[in-house]
Amino acid sequence: MSGERLVVVEDEAHLAEVVSDNLRLEGWEVTVAGDGPSALALIRKSQPDLVLLDVMLPGLDGFAVCQTLRAEGNDVPILFLTAKSGQGDRLQGLELGGDDYLGKPFDLRELILRVRAILRRTEWMRSPSSAGDVLRLGEASVDFRSHEASIEGRRLQLSSKEVLILRCLAERPGEVVSRTEILDRVWGYDAFPTTRTIDNFIVRLRRLLEPDARNPRYIHTVRGTGYRLTP
Amino acid sequence: MARARVARRMLRLYAVVLLLYAALAAWWVYFFSTESRWIVEHVRSAGGDLSPEQVAVLAEVTAGNARMFLGESAFLLLLLVGSAWLVLRALRREELVVRQQGNFLSAVTHELRSPVASARLYLESLQLGRVEADKRERYLQHAQEDLQRLSDTIDELLQGRRLLDRGLVVHSEPLDLSELARRGVERLKPMHVPAGATLELDVPQPVPVLADPVAFERILDNLVSNGVKYGGEQPRVRIATRRHGRWGLLSVRDHGKGLAGADRQRIFEPFVRGGDETVRTRPGVGLGLFIVKELAEQQGGAVDVEDGLSGGGTQFTVRFPLQGTAHP
Repeated sequence: MSGERLVVVEDEAHLAEVVSDNLRLEGWEVTVAGDGPSALALIRKSQPDLVLLDVMLPGLDGFAVCQTLRAEGNDVPILFLTAKSGQGDRLQGLELGGDDYLGKPFDLRELILRVRAILRRTEWMRSPSSAGDVLRLGEASVDFRSHEASIEGRRLQLSSKEVLILRCLAERPGEVVSRTEILDRVWGYDAFPTTRTIDNFIVRLRRLLEPDARNPRYIHTVRGTGYRLTP
Repeated sequence: MARARVARRMLRLYAVVLLLYAALAAWWVYFFSTESRWIVEHVRSAGGDLSPEQVAVLAEVTAGNARMFLGESAFLLLLLVGSAWLVLRALRREELVVRQQGNFLSAVTHELRSPVASARLYLESLQLGRVEADKRERYLQHAQEDLQRLSDTIDELLQGRRLLDRGLVVHSEPLDLSELARRGVERLKPMHVPAGATLELDVPQPVPVLADPVAFERILDNLVSNGVKYGGEQPRVRIATRRHGRWGLLSVRDHGKGLAGADRQRIFEPFVRGGDETVRTRPGVGLGLFIVKELAEQQGGAVDVEDGLSGGGTQFTVRFPLQGTAHP
């Protein structure tokens, strides 16, 4: 994995230097922005593969940068790097659409591992699925590329998390996929959200795709373990 | 925040009490103003009759009662509104203090964690052999600067704390303010000049004052760092000394944007930094000017600030008592 384009948004010159040097050493292409507004401009223009975003920034804080990008429909992966590492800030960052959160000071190897994990996830998301582009479940079908579902002639847009969960299951049809595996592949970090969140996603997917959500024909719960898809 | 919720609940309760009171007062006034008519009708329906004079007297008495109640309830309403306003003001103040403390904590967290984070990464990179030979010296230098910054922040915090507890004692002695300034600027140059700042010294003659040399150093450090921090792209800071009446004056001037609407007196309060900490514009924890003010006052002097000077910028002037003059 190399050649991906990363944007580091950090107003502390030293941190920006040492972080970007180390990321370049891994073979990634790195550009640095020192404040909120110029970060927004740079990300819009260069369409990077990942943004490492500080929260306390001159001009516009990192949360606002993330919020603005998401509101514009930009789903570039974002890794928050910040001195504010309270649980509240962490949750705020992830709720606003951040992909991961690393509190300062952090370990160099951990930073690189997390960046790699996010890039791997994005690559998986962008690559063609081994289950094909379209998943058919009886009358319903889901397009993995356009995130569009067609149910009894109605078309509706699924969220990327919903599509990825389905894809995770569809790539191993008939096999049990554990909740932690889904968390790891779709979210990529351990503490948030809880495995309970996946259950909620599954309930919603069943309501959309199953003829009878109470007696699922396609998406089965394997008690205590995870889920199994039988197309 | 729980405290804000309690405050809002209190305010709502106050509003309800005010409304109830206003309704009650209105009812009383209505009652007294219609009482005479009601009594006359009641007597008539019971078969009695009142002479026009008796009706007039009754009307006069109840109108008097109504006026009295109107006056008293207006007075009570005023008291209630007044106390509600006082409560509101106290709540606002508390909110401001809470926000300032939140800002302070944010600033301290940032000021402590950022240099630790970069120093650690520099050293880790070196340790893991991830640094090209020509960069090694630079990485060590930067890690050292980070540690210096960390140590400065800790000093600032401890000194601020000590000043807040009134535990810091200064020992003034006869010194030449110009000589102190000259030596101070020499000491500060290596810190600021490589980063692009210019320090100008204007000390035409000796100014014999009573001052504490350690406290003076801290005052000069803080004012010069402040001038560099707020002095724009290529900050130019001018340090001057002169006599004025019974005082020796040290002035430190930058050519930045000025205080930009910041409250002149509040900049000397502890933990005050402009704006919201999340949108950080300058490093620091908000104790620098508070320390300057406290140290100046403990040496029998004071500090003053002017901005909107011709040519732009802000000038801080610290007064020290001249030697041989009586100061209260």
